[in-house]
Amino acid sequence: MTLLIILMMAVITFITRYLFLHPRLPIKLGPKVSCFLNFSAPAVLTAIWVPIIFVQDERLVTSVFDPYLIATMSAILVSIITKNIYWTILISVTAFTMVRYVL
Amino acid sequence: MSLKKQATKKMAFKGFVDMLPLNLAVIPWGILCGSLAIQRDFSVLEALLMPLLVFAGAAQLIATELIASNTPLATILFTVFIISSRHFLYGLALRDKLKALPLTKRLSIAFVLTDELFALSTKKKSLRGRLRITYGFSAGLSFYFGWLLWNIIGIIAGSFLPDLTTMGLDFAIAATFIALVIPSITTLPTLVTVIVAAILSVIFKLWHWQLDLVVASLIAMCCGYVALQLQIKFKNAVTKPRSIL
Repeated sequence: MTLLIILMMAVITFITRYLFLHPRLPIKLGPKVSCFLNFSAPAVLTAIWVPIIFVQDERLVTSVFDPYLIATMSAILVSIITKNIYWTILISVTAFTMVRYVL
Repeated sequence: MSLKKQATKKMAFKGFVDMLPLNLAVIPWGILCGSLAIQRDFSVLEALLMPLLVFAGAAQLIATELIASNTPLATILFTVFIISSRHFLYGLALRDKLKALPLTKRLSIAFVLTDELFALSTKKKSLRGRLRITYGFSAGLSFYFGWLLWNIIGIIAGSFLPDLTTMGLDFAIAATFIALVIPSITTLPTLVTVIVAAILSVIFKLWHWQLDLVVASLIAMCCGYVALQLQIKFKNAVTKPRSIL
């Protein structure tokens, strides 16, 4: 049974990924919709990472000294300065570990 | 080797390598997915088919818990559908670039179209032309193999591992997305989009909405769009009188 459920899940995730790439789908994206969709990347990616930081144990993080918050500040700073994904991860994860496990 | 082949190989390699930081960021989640499946009495085959066929993070994790607790089939499938529905946005955003590709290419790119691949394909030029398609597919494949590998480690390590969710390892994922999003904020409308998405995603998360991510994103996109229209209007209002003079 589990096997069958997994197969059905695979079909669902694949359909959500493929559907709008199908050329025969009767939709045409006008310039307005395209312009609207240009904002999808910053919107979705932000909506993925912000709750990881600010919602912990189903509650809003309010402490300024929270390791997630401090490390996020460092990540934002480093990403602005270096614009480099490796540096951002390296420095902010180090900051996170320091604050959480050392201090 | 012909030049064309060489260029293709080079792009494929570059795509594979450029995805590596994102591969690293999901190590804890991948291991968690694999070990959780074993801990919830999935067979090794079933635990393997999850990353192999379903190939999703949150959907995999939640479905594992739901299957283990004998949730009705319809509920499981509906939940997976809701969590995966953000992919509709990715498909729409990439539609004009990918719809003209031959079927097999379209199907293969769709199969590896994850949050991470979308995050890596946000530039206007991304996925345009044969070489960039190769680059994108290779990056997606890189993430597929990475995800599979971390899951396998989780399956092998299984019950020996402590609860990884409480160790704060999810920060690495946030850091990756910060590194991708923050430098891309170059215009005021994008800034508006990011701020609205940030606030709403947190509120909806606290409300326990399963559609939190999609609704927050859609509203944020609307705000970004309106901000852009206002900006254009304002610029026109400022520049037009001057042009008369």
